[in-house]
Amino acid sequence: MERRKFIQGMFTATAVATITTPTTMFADETKKAAKKGPNDMSFDEAVKTITSDKGAKESDKIKLTVPEIAENGAVVPVKIEIDHPMEEKNYVKAIHVLNKGNGNARCADIMLTPANAKGYFATRVKLSKTQDVVALVELSDGTFIQTAKSVKVTIGGCG
Amino acid sequence: MAEARKSMIKIKPKKYKVGDIVKVDFIVIHPMDTGMKKDKKTGEIKPAHYIDNITFSFDGTPFTTMKVWESISTNPYFSVNYKVTGKGKISVEYTDNQGEKNSKSKKVKPKD
Repeated sequence: MERRKFIQGMFTATAVATITTPTTMFADETKKAAKKGPNDMSFDEAVKTITSDKGAKESDKIKLTVPEIAENGAVVPVKIEIDHPMEEKNYVKAIHVLNKGNGNARCADIMLTPANAKGYFATRVKLSKTQDVVALVELSDGTFIQTAKSVKVTIGGCG
Repeated sequence: MAEARKSMIKIKPKKYKVGDIVKVDFIVIHPMDTGMKKDKKTGEIKPAHYIDNITFSFDGTPFTTMKVWESISTNPYFSVNYKVTGKGKISVEYTDNQGEKNSKSKKVKPKD
């Protein structure tokens, strides 16, 4: 009798364990999902809204300078230079700095004019994990070009 | 609002002529909170506080405008190019998502 009770008890215990473990895992996931910034946007959504569904071509006109390995994800220098004339009717209209791994994929939009004389922009961004940084450039004729580079992040810089 | 934020405009190189292309660097002391970080002392999540609009202008006519989100680092730094056309004043106006509005300006003195 003792032994039978013991075995029954074991069965119920394992059953309970199997039921509870997935639920706790779900709880963790919901916690992660709840930790969101105020204006989160995925990378694909961001590209869609910027290009209004046109999409962008890969191009080697853009020179994107980022470190290969960033020890501190809170401060990652980004430099973008575009080999394109800046004339009255043919110029770089906008530079969009995007990322693929943060909650909000958009870092900054820069609207340039011919007075800038060169398509150049530099800043520092936060990256939460190892990911790609993307420079999406709009030219004055309405076409979009882009280039991407990956950055290895040792310590994340967000939240 | 609170006291004016510390900010700085740098023109590089220091000596330039009319027609030169110079770098205009703008740095401002700003927390750029993402709205996800906890305050270490109180344990509460800090509300998002970041710069969202920046306008670079020369003598009142804007030449570069920016829209910025929270992914930019604390104490942000922005650098653009500008072709010097003559004497004047470069000014940078910026607003953040909590309604703070500030500006900073620097004289442009080309040497001939």
